[in-house]
Amino acid sequence: MKNPNVLIIGAGIAGMEASLLLAEAGRKVYLVEKESLIGGQVIKYEEVFPNMECSTCMVAPKQQEVLQNENIELFLLSEVEKIAGSAGQFSVRIRKRARYVSLTNCIGCGACYDPCPVSLYNEFEQCLSKKKAISIPCPGALPNVPAIDPENCLYLSGKQECQACKEACMFDAIDFSDKDEILELEVGAIIVATGFDLLDVKILPQYGYGDSSNIYTAMEFERLNAANGPTEGKIILREGSIPKSIAIIHCVGRAEKGYCSGVCCMYSAKFSHYLRHKLPDAKICEFYSDLCIPGKSYQKFYKEIQNKGVELIYSDDIRVEKKDGKIQVVYKNGDGERSVFNADMVILSPAMIAKNGTKELAKILGISVDEKGFFSTQNQSLSPITTSVQGIFVIGCAEGPKDISESIAQAEAAVGKVLSLLS
Amino acid sequence: MSKKIGVYICECGPNIRDRINIDEILENLSSIEDIKVVKKYPLLCSNEGKKFLADEIKNEELTHLVIAACSPKEHEITFMNVCEKAGLNPYLFQLVNIREQCAWIISNKEEATRMATKYIRAGINRVLLHKPLQKKELECNPNVLIIGGGIAGIEASLSLASPERKVYLVEKTSVLGGKVRKLSGLLPHQGMDLTFLQKKIKEVENNENIVVLTSSEVENVRGFFGNFEIVIKSNRNDLEQKEIKVGAIIVATGFSLFDPKETPQYGYGTIENVVNALEFEEMIASDKILLKNGKPPKTVALIHCVGRKEKGYCSKVCCLYSLKFAQFLKDKLSDVNVFEFYSDLCLPHKSDQDYFEEVKKKGVNFIKANEIQIKKSNSNINIEYKTITEKKGSLSVDMVVLSPAIIPAENTEKLAKILNIPLDETGFFKEIHEKLDPVSTPIEGIYIAGCASGPKNILESVIQSQAACGKILSCLIPGKKLEPEVRVSEIVEEFCTGCQTCLSVCFYSAISFDEFKGVSVVNEAICRGCGNCVGSCPSGAIRLKHFTYPQLYREVLEALR
Amino acid sequence: MSTVQNEFFKKPKKGAVLHAEGGIHKAILDFLRKSLEKKCFDALFIPVKVHDTDSYVWVLLKDKSLLNEANPLPPVISVQGGRALSTLTKHGEMNLQIAAIMRPCEIRAVIELFKLKQVSLNNITLISIDCPGAMPLSDYISNPKEMAKRFNNLFETWEENESLRPICIICHRFSLSSLLPSISRQSASVELEGIDSPASDIHIGLVGGNGEKIFLMPVSSKGEEILEKLEIATEDSLEDWEIKEKELRDKKENKRKKILQELKAKIEGPKKFVAVFDQCINCHNCMRVCPICYCRQCYFDSKTLRLSPEVYLTRAKERKSLRFPLDTLLFHLGRMSHMVLSCVSCGVCEDACPMNIPIAQVFCIVADQVQKSFGYVPGRDRREPPPLRFFQEDEFQEVEMQYKKTISREETQNA
Repeated sequence: MKNPNVLIIGAGIAGMEASLLLAEAGRKVYLVEKESLIGGQVIKYEEVFPNMECSTCMVAPKQQEVLQNENIELFLLSEVEKIAGSAGQFSVRIRKRARYVSLTNCIGCGACYDPCPVSLYNEFEQCLSKKKAISIPCPGALPNVPAIDPENCLYLSGKQECQACKEACMFDAIDFSDKDEILELEVGAIIVATGFDLLDVKILPQYGYGDSSNIYTAMEFERLNAANGPTEGKIILREGSIPKSIAIIHCVGRAEKGYCSGVCCMYSAKFSHYLRHKLPDAKICEFYSDLCIPGKSYQKFYKEIQNKGVELIYSDDIRVEKKDGKIQVVYKNGDGERSVFNADMVILSPAMIAKNGTKELAKILGISVDEKGFFSTQNQSLSPITTSVQGIFVIGCAEGPKDISESIAQAEAAVGKVLSLLS
Repeated sequence: MSKKIGVYICECGPNIRDRINIDEILENLSSIEDIKVVKKYPLLCSNEGKKFLADEIKNEELTHLVIAACSPKEHEITFMNVCEKAGLNPYLFQLVNIREQCAWIISNKEEATRMATKYIRAGINRVLLHKPLQKKELECNPNVLIIGGGIAGIEASLSLASPERKVYLVEKTSVLGGKVRKLSGLLPHQGMDLTFLQKKIKEVENNENIVVLTSSEVENVRGFFGNFEIVIKSNRNDLEQKEIKVGAIIVATGFSLFDPKETPQYGYGTIENVVNALEFEEMIASDKILLKNGKPPKTVALIHCVGRKEKGYCSKVCCLYSLKFAQFLKDKLSDVNVFEFYSDLCLPHKSDQDYFEEVKKKGVNFIKANEIQIKKSNSNINIEYKTITEKKGSLSVDMVVLSPAIIPAENTEKLAKILNIPLDETGFFKEIHEKLDPVSTPIEGIYIAGCASGPKNILESVIQSQAACGKILSCLIPGKKLEPEVRVSEIVEEFCTGCQTCLSVCFYSAISFDEFKGVSVVNEAICRGCGNCVGSCPSGAIRLKHFTYPQLYREVLEALR
Repeated sequence: MSTVQNEFFKKPKKGAVLHAEGGIHKAILDFLRKSLEKKCFDALFIPVKVHDTDSYVWVLLKDKSLLNEANPLPPVISVQGGRALSTLTKHGEMNLQIAAIMRPCEIRAVIELFKLKQVSLNNITLISIDCPGAMPLSDYISNPKEMAKRFNNLFETWEENESLRPICIICHRFSLSSLLPSISRQSASVELEGIDSPASDIHIGLVGGNGEKIFLMPVSSKGEEILEKLEIATEDSLEDWEIKEKELRDKKENKRKKILQELKAKIEGPKKFVAVFDQCINCHNCMRVCPICYCRQCYFDSKTLRLSPEVYLTRAKERKSLRFPLDTLLFHLGRMSHMVLSCVSCGVCEDACPMNIPIAQVFCIVADQVQKSFGYVPGRDRREPPPLRFFQEDEFQEVEMQYKKTISREETQNA
């Protein structure tokens, strides 16, 4: 007897697409998400290339559907702990961490945030701003219900008898007695859509990243530019002034990781778009070694930023140095000639790497991880979403760096495979 | 039949309760004719709230329902389901937004209460004009037509075919296999040798649920998702026609190569021993990598990006297959010198760069260059180029292999017209949304996969064809009926002047022209209710169900009173 | 000498200069008679003077003897040619080959109606003719002989004549230039491949002929075929006509600008604009005679605007008093927004208004501006789709740029 249900690990754009398509086919989907909100990385961007569409507007209808669809059971703050069985009959153990806030009672009024005395760096905002121990990661997060960080909450970590949030809540939504839950689910197939992380640029000293200077990673810049981000979309330096020259450096970590991440050239051009629109007079330079812009509309996108006065500089040897408190991009051209570009702000486009926790999850699933750190799939049989275990599929950036369009295609393909497998 | 309207105001916690004087509104509304009951409730979207509503509908025998609460985007569907389960037509219901549109934006409580009252009264007036629209159910045909017997088409047919679902695989040429048939081999990380293609073709031919129609083309398509009627013509015999009925169509017609004759600077067609990628594949496959004089080449140049500037896009696969060529040359011919001229190395997948390093180790030279001119010099070929640092260079070779851009297949325009799906400015089929829906077209039930929608490699083409299968397997289920949108446009014949303005603005091709009557007609099975046609009709002959002028007018009139 | 004609035809346009002994009307009728005889077409669609009266009606005729009463350019436009032709050709295919001879504004109306599928141009040949203007209908009715005489004098000098309809005094689209596609426009519509795009097939030039000659020229390939069949050589230079036409067109364009500007100042602003329609009696005549208003039931005659007494009382309460029938201004503004993109300024609306409201001129002011914003001239190009039918990303730049400037100003202020 094949179990018709499906487990999807990761509620990013690929996971959401797969869950919605399976739900439409009448299947029950268990959507397990590690964070307290759904949407993955895509909701951190203000706009997406090449049409510069509002990212959150594009994804919001899908998020809403996922939250309301009767066939999708969503587990937030949850992770897969154990898997047994085989295709058609997997037993899955999920640990659902305590949220301490009731999803049914809370209506997202936000009255509990102010009274909380604990202030922490906000990881969603790439530590560019702070949040409280009880908070939602960003304005507009879905579901619009906060979670309490038990390690930093004074009450939950036993440091103090603080109940400020509970007292402020008019709807009795805060429950300190909430506990982690262990759930046992039975499914017929598993789709892994855990996404990606960006390489930690601190390990590459030649880019001078660290100590809160005006050298930003791509994700930090996305949040800086986002209307619901720490500066509400204003492009300003740490000191508060407006940058007049900006360098965007591609291929950060490409040589070290040994692969091209495929999307950075495009999002770097997207950054140029943002910058040119918000700072019409700034000098913007893109430092690249190979323009990886495959696909019918991407080259046009590059032509557009060139027409807006953004300079493309080829270099295969770049360093970012600080001199007299100012940032300098020191680069060599194809003939080894050295030049210097003075930048008020530098944006680094780092390699896309496998999400933290991939090795551990691979072990739980019984599948392998390739030398690049991503989940291993059967490219050899023309099926880059099938793993060595029948019934387990990997989609999206969990399989390797790719853009949204490819992730969605893989999600839909996995649904096709699941429906044939569990027919 | 007398009208019994039930009006329920949701407190939504402190959200509405604290910012609007709900009791005042309750009092205000109780005097309106036709209102049977007006109550408030703490949280209508909760399970208890939904049960409460269901009970109210049944006990009070309500004929219409108005709920004043949050945004329809949040819970319109929730409450419509409640109505349906309780026996009330879900379209005799109106959700009035007094949270986002009043409580959350008006700080003064009196003002907020006044506005909320206006909106609720407007909603009540509107709901009285609602018609009890009925959901429709359409039988659907689960069979699928796949246009194009290349790798994408073959994979899709194998994934879809089953005893309950027949697949028609239509191929223009006389054999299956498409361009992959012409290749000498795949890339290392794609592993397999080409016998896999023959195996798959055999599988297709042996599958009794797949009907293969080679030397055939699609002549005519009529109908809509779940109910397409297709006419297929044989290329061998004009009179031979076949009519089939399917529920969905996958377009997997592949690509063509840019003709390098259009860029004379590469010397294709004028200089001997300048070949294009497919010709070179043939050479490798037949193990005859030879110059025109019968001898093997000593120096070979592989030129990337031929036609890239002219076409305006990068074709994605050429850098990789040029590496494959370089590898073959180094492996098959001893002492051959290989030079690769590229403008940007496009190696977007995780194993591509490794392959590049591997090939480089074999001694292949990579030159980042542009402005390439290929000229004949004595018995050799001379390549003149400029490097990225603007330095000029020249190289003498005896064979040149060009990597031309991938362009839309022939007949793409003709097929687009037959299917009524759009092409984008590069000439490829246009997907409905480049990012969120790369395999769908504006016509529901017609999907595009593989190079038909743009340059991509074999793995991606296969994934896209599987994605189209995923969509078909989840929506077109044998035995399951389709439920098209209910709130669609309708054309009032007496007012239609046949100007066909609505046809030109309908994105979904849901409107057709009845030549006999001289009026336009909406196909309710395809219409998605976007309303474009309603706005464009100069005579006001088109109405949108559930959003008619009287309904909207009455609502606004009441709100402005 | 670069004229629009030359720009469109890419080389100096040649035609046939025919001498008009016996007057222009006779010369034109002779040409038409010969065409009928030689079977260039089977029937003619032309205004004919009703026997023993001063009225003109559109007639479809085969019998050459009826041509004696025909007049290709009557002193008045009683029925718009576009509307008449639409009645004939809308519902179904025409088997007969017909030639219709009309004023440029009527030809342009025909082309607009063609685009809106209200006129079928299969088997129709359109012959356009330079137009000196037309007389106001009410003036003509009160004194037809005098008005006809004044009208005929125009053909010699083409000088402005204050007796003409105000809309004709400012008309700069009286000749071929308004019936040719714009060069810069990408107007190919795929379904109409194989159809020539100019509005008319043959043009008869009269300006610069001093009443002694007419200039016959083919415009489309169909027109060329017809003149070939008639063995009329088209090797004569049309310079006389071209020069005079451009001169007159420039003069009229300047006059149009000036007069419309003056009129605009008189009617601009809510108070003054409302006053224009003070006398309107809501007869809807203007809409009924307008060729572009082809709706089977006008929205403003429909049920939607039949309101209950309650509504009227509510409004009366707010406004203290109410005028009946209601919505005079709404009707005009509504009609304007529905048809002004296709308005060809033919002026039959003004002729039909019993209260002498300068409705054609008012619509002209708006039509000129709106058509300019879309870069659209109605009726000049069979293949140019009406702006409503297609979406261009970069249109209405002036509106968008204004908005963009405001946004970036605000942003830099807030930064």
